[in-house]
Amino acid sequence: MAFIRRYLPLVTGGFKNVYIGGQRKEIHRYVAPTLMVLKRREDKQGGKVIKPRNTFLEWNLEAEMYAFGKRLNENFDPDLLLQAFTDRSYVIKEEMKQKEMEFDIQMKDNRNLAEEGRKFMKQYIQLYLEAALPKFPIEGINGICDHLMSENVLANVSLHLGTKDIILADEYPVDNTTLANAFVAIVGALLHSSGEEQTAHFVRDFVITNLQGQDVNEFWHIEEPWIMLTDLIAKTGSNLEPRLIGEVGKNTLLACYRVGLYLDKKMLSSGFGETIATAKEMAAREALKKIFGTEENQYPINFKLNGIPKSSSKSRYQVSAS
Amino acid sequence: MSNSHLFMKSGFVRAPLQNGVGRYVPQLQRIVLKFCKTHGGSRGIRDFIEQDLVEFAKQNPSVVVYLKPRRHRSPVAVAEYLNGDRVWMSLHQKSHSEITKWIEVLRTQQGDVSATRLRKYQFTDHPSIQGPWTPFTFKDPELNVAQLPDPKFGANDRLPMTATDKLRIMFEKQKISEDNVKTGE
Repeated sequence: MAFIRRYLPLVTGGFKNVYIGGQRKEIHRYVAPTLMVLKRREDKQGGKVIKPRNTFLEWNLEAEMYAFGKRLNENFDPDLLLQAFTDRSYVIKEEMKQKEMEFDIQMKDNRNLAEEGRKFMKQYIQLYLEAALPKFPIEGINGICDHLMSENVLANVSLHLGTKDIILADEYPVDNTTLANAFVAIVGALLHSSGEEQTAHFVRDFVITNLQGQDVNEFWHIEEPWIMLTDLIAKTGSNLEPRLIGEVGKNTLLACYRVGLYLDKKMLSSGFGETIATAKEMAAREALKKIFGTEENQYPINFKLNGIPKSSSKSRYQVSAS
Repeated sequence: MSNSHLFMKSGFVRAPLQNGVGRYVPQLQRIVLKFCKTHGGSRGIRDFIEQDLVEFAKQNPSVVVYLKPRRHRSPVAVAEYLNGDRVWMSLHQKSHSEITKWIEVLRTQQGDVSATRLRKYQFTDHPSIQGPWTPFTFKDPELNVAQLPDPKFGANDRLPMTATDKLRIMFEKQKISEDNVKTGE
């Protein structure tokens, strides 16, 4: 470590010479061999050791938690926030330590808060999406909801809110499960400290906005679009008719067919593909998107709906039930 | 961007976590100021700490400020960002006003921007708004009602003009202008 500390200015000095004020200078010849030696020594020691940020001298958990709340513009109850950041693995580790030293301090982990937060989030995201995508069927909404509640998305949100260093866990860097769990627990803590509406806006601003720039149709895979479309159309009593409206390069590798769907002799949608069957399927998908109001050129999802929207699940149609 | 910068980490112009779509989150999470209490190289940062630091901390409650006095070592600012970046900056021999400006840079940037090589100066999730190209994309609507084969659509108009054709056209142009001259008289 002393070696690295002694040579670090040397190395950074070498890098600094790369680009100064518009004129380029070469990287010194000693830099690459030095870095190689440093890397070899590091590997010999058993890989790079990342020290937990909270073991540093410059670390104040209380200040960090205060800044965390201020950063997100929320007022957290400090005790609840600390509880939300305490992972189960940390409590177990501490209890083992305490047993050895023969004393006992009760600690709370974030499991209860996480459960509450998860329940609230699921409910709210469902309601919000129903309000924001009024024509989208319930299965599709469930698909989007599952995506938003997935571990990867929640862990990414959690990481970018700066929970990584504050979380109390027995390992560092923490894995995705712990990150996601901590975020959900923070939602639970906020639910207790600021009430439902404030928490709903928190979830909207950090979780639902992940849909920005994404195609919502990708979160719901429709197996048989043609059957679904005909079922939907059959209810209205209209006449659906597919027509081949273009074919190019027949019997070649680059064949392309275009099928148009006509509803009572008016064009509903068109799709293309390398065979007539795929073209028809693509046209059906296009038509479904039009019916569900999720075309490629749809108006962006509204991320500014205030309050908790009212449920419309009862009036909402289910595709699979029909 | 020259080839020598390829060792830099590459990236696109992106806001972290859709920042600003929902609400704005300041990206600097903590800053550590390391300085010496006696050495002359730390004079600027000592002035900054005495005069501006409390105000800075008051205006930015989202930033955790740590002070770390160390004897006879040059002053340094280490900024840590929400995306995990850590920016190390030497403040040796820097004056008070310079330091104020550099701290402002550290406060407002969203990560280690100067160590990133931008692949492009713009970014989009949707490079095409019209979807994939098909042979039908820019099709002439006239073709819909045309009776094929038709010499109008079947003609090969992709060959370059031959020398004979060029000569003929030049000759015809000349003839017309000569006729015009005659009638003008």
